Amino acid sequence: MPHGYARREDERLLTGRGRFVADIEAPGCLEAAFVRSAVAHGELREVTCAPALEAPGVLGAWSAADLPGLPSPGLPASGPPDEPVLLTTLTSAEAVAGREWPSLVTERVRYAGEAVAVVVGEDRYRAEDGAARVGVRVDPLPAMVTAAAALRGPALFDGLSNVALEGSAGAPIDEAVWRRAAVVVEACYRQQLLLPTPMECRAFLAVPRGQELTVWCSHQMPHRLRRELSGILGWPAGRIRVVAPDCGGAFGSKSATFPEYVVVAYLAAMLGRPVRWIEDRLESQLVATRGRGQDQRVRLAADADGRLLAYELTIDADVGAYPHLGAGLPMQTAKMATGPYTTPLVHATVRSVLTNTMMTYPYRGAGRPEAATALERTMEELARRLGMDPAELRRRNLIPPGRFPYDTPTGRRYDSGDYAAALALALRTLDYDRWRAERDRRRADPDAPPLGIGLSCYVERSGGEPGGLHEFGGVEACPDGTVVARCGSASTGQSHETTFSALVADTLGLDPALVRLIEGDTGEVADGMGSFASRTAQIGGAALRRAAETLVEQARLRAATLWELPVDQVLWSAGTLRPARGVAPTLGLGELVRATGPLRVDERCTSGMAFPFGTHAAVVEVDVDLGAVRVLRLVAVDDCGVALNPAAVHGQALGSAVQGIGQALYEGVPYDDDGAPLLPNGLLDYLLPTFAEVPPIEIASTSTPSPVTPLGAKGAGESGCIGTPAAVVNAVADALRVADPGLLRMPLTPDVVWRAARAPKAGDDR
Amino acid sequence: MRITLTVNGRDHALDVEPRRVLADVLREDCRLTGTHLGCEQGVCGACTVLVDGEAVRSCLLLAVQCDGRAIRTVEGLAGPDGTPHPLQRAFSAEHALQCGFCTPGFLMLAAGALESDPAIAADPERVRALVGSNLCRCTGYEPIHRAILRAASE
Repeated sequence: MPHGYARREDERLLTGRGRFVADIEAPGCLEAAFVRSAVAHGELREVTCAPALEAPGVLGAWSAADLPGLPSPGLPASGPPDEPVLLTTLTSAEAVAGREWPSLVTERVRYAGEAVAVVVGEDRYRAEDGAARVGVRVDPLPAMVTAAAALRGPALFDGLSNVALEGSAGAPIDEAVWRRAAVVVEACYRQQLLLPTPMECRAFLAVPRGQELTVWCSHQMPHRLRRELSGILGWPAGRIRVVAPDCGGAFGSKSATFPEYVVVAYLAAMLGRPVRWIEDRLESQLVATRGRGQDQRVRLAADADGRLLAYELTIDADVGAYPHLGAGLPMQTAKMATGPYTTPLVHATVRSVLTNTMMTYPYRGAGRPEAATALERTMEELARRLGMDPAELRRRNLIPPGRFPYDTPTGRRYDSGDYAAALALALRTLDYDRWRAERDRRRADPDAPPLGIGLSCYVERSGGEPGGLHEFGGVEACPDGTVVARCGSASTGQSHETTFSALVADTLGLDPALVRLIEGDTGEVADGMGSFASRTAQIGGAALRRAAETLVEQARLRAATLWELPVDQVLWSAGTLRPARGVAPTLGLGELVRATGPLRVDERCTSGMAFPFGTHAAVVEVDVDLGAVRVLRLVAVDDCGVALNPAAVHGQALGSAVQGIGQALYEGVPYDDDGAPLLPNGLLDYLLPTFAEVPPIEIASTSTPSPVTPLGAKGAGESGCIGTPAAVVNAVADALRVADPGLLRMPLTPDVVWRAARAPKAGDDR
Repeated sequence: MRITLTVNGRDHALDVEPRRVLADVLREDCRLTGTHLGCEQGVCGACTVLVDGEAVRSCLLLAVQCDGRAIRTVEGLAGPDGTPHPLQRAFSAEHALQCGFCTPGFLMLAAGALESDPAIAADPERVRALVGSNLCRCTGYEPIHRAILRAASE
């Protein structure tokens, strides 16, 4: 690396030469500002744009009525018939039918912040000057903020149900099972709405040139964005190039085609000038996608020895105002409801309910934190009811290594795992017994602040769903001896350039400095899926490895022809070809290309679904007078199979664990009864963890290679969001011994904890 | 309003609207886009730059307030020959960045603190408070903490 930087990405990112969308200079670029409804639900009566045009530097202002040709975002696009369906489970055609999500509101506002007009100006200041002058009149209707309210309330779309989608996983469980069980735990949980909050908000720049449009977007899936813009605008895909340059984080929130993107692309083409929209934080908090959003009811039955008999999970998900983005996502929770246990009967049902809030969409973990948290909170309660060590209860029920591949009652086939090994390592790393002794000591001392230990065993799914488990990878040998690798993914901070350059170099036996990765550009990379579902190492890595291997085979064939030898007489080592016998000179890759012409291999690789897993453990201390939770220690043991870049995996584990702490203790979007998010002070109200909230965290790993992915790799990067929240909440439950597990509603703010500390205690002392 | 900003040792004679914040002027008028805007309300610190050696949130300061003052941005951190600053080396070595969006703010925050008082590194509470004053959503902060200590020990 130049100057000894550890990652390829680091030199530019550390010197201010990163290239984020807002950094790109497009001469004559106009800036868009959206006029947003303050009312969450109502009939749009009037939009008056003319006054905006009187503001200096404003070039245009339009409502939907002023742009009759403006198209609307549709269903997430599947590809042309020869391309596999892209995102098979995020929503469905049935859910979307009859529920148009307009790019600008036409008749009815359905969430606070929905855009009713757009203003373009010479810069953001002027565009906002104009936006402030636009008059909007909305006659309010009662807002339905929760799933429960929307299930009772009037139709959000006339003549259609507020339930956009229903589904289930597993078979219904006979009531007799619950009657006969020695113990049945019942509880209700709330998976609160979260803001993914990448440090860079959304950013979109459209630059028209002739009949073509180049789009720069902070995005996880540039090829999807191109396909969808092409479908929505009605342009051939060949006229649109999408570039995803450096991206300031995404965490799932930047993979869709949002109405703002459609408006800006449309205006750029209409005006024949570059137009950009750089979302600011207040706007992001109002209208960027939310994560989670589930009301859950659970029943868990066990025999007297703690063997799990049955588990039932009922989900009412508040998916927001339009079903276009994530109405199907709660099905991920249903399918993962089994967790890491041998529970023979598992049944999960989902209702995705439309509400007057901005929509939910994948946020790091995406359906799996909701599954893991519900189950693990309930396991904690079950252990208490049985008077059993929670670690022992889990040990008795974890799927043993000899039973893989394991078909769960909820329809997943787990590929591989040694769940008990991860649990054992977590307990050892934590020094579980010592902390339990300390907990018991404090229980006997009325002056000591209570301490609790929480465990959480999780299993996640990586790669995506069938039909979307493929990725593009290409390798090209250049005449100068360097190699270009192309990947259909797009990094949002996961060290792709470092990891994949090294992977290709390793496969070819070359110095990594000779390999350059190109991704995130539909003009440079023929095809691609993108970065989501922790899939890029697992699938993109496999595509690049195979492309590099095929390139070696092709190079040997060419050399064989050149030397008039059988191919098995041509050897390859360290980037060089040579005959097996004789004194002929060796031939480098660059020389081969110069002698025989361009050499390039493009692969599209498909992998199986993989199931990473692990155990997280937390120790907390509670100040019962202040309701404050202090995390004393967090241990995260994750298994992502073969790790291609252990340093990157470690960084992802640490960062996601802190996000998991955020969900457990700090983050959440409260709404008032009128459907306005109660975040008037931005990041002073929505509390991201700072360093002051980060406890000592120990990351450890086991490695169980996946038999269904070419490199043995499973996805990494979401573990903390999945495993950590329940570990932290269970630790608080252990400290406070609250009888009703539903009282510890995330985030565990001082108010929640203070009340829980005064609620009736569970009787048992295990 | 006509002002002169001395940015990384170079004078920029500018004509700016009084309402424009320093970050926008650095990014758009001086074309120094290494300074990033993460919240525009002074919370996240991604836009931190040094004004006369002191770390400031450049989203909360008007450019006209900085007329005639010396500003240092991430572009001015490395030596004139491109030799990395100890903080740049340390951030890389400790994997203290992933997406890199908040990184310039942390670098300038730390550079300002270490340059004005190198003794800060000997005081764990002050270093913790320093790291706790900006937001990062990727790294979990501990690598940033280690990087600052590492750079300070050079």
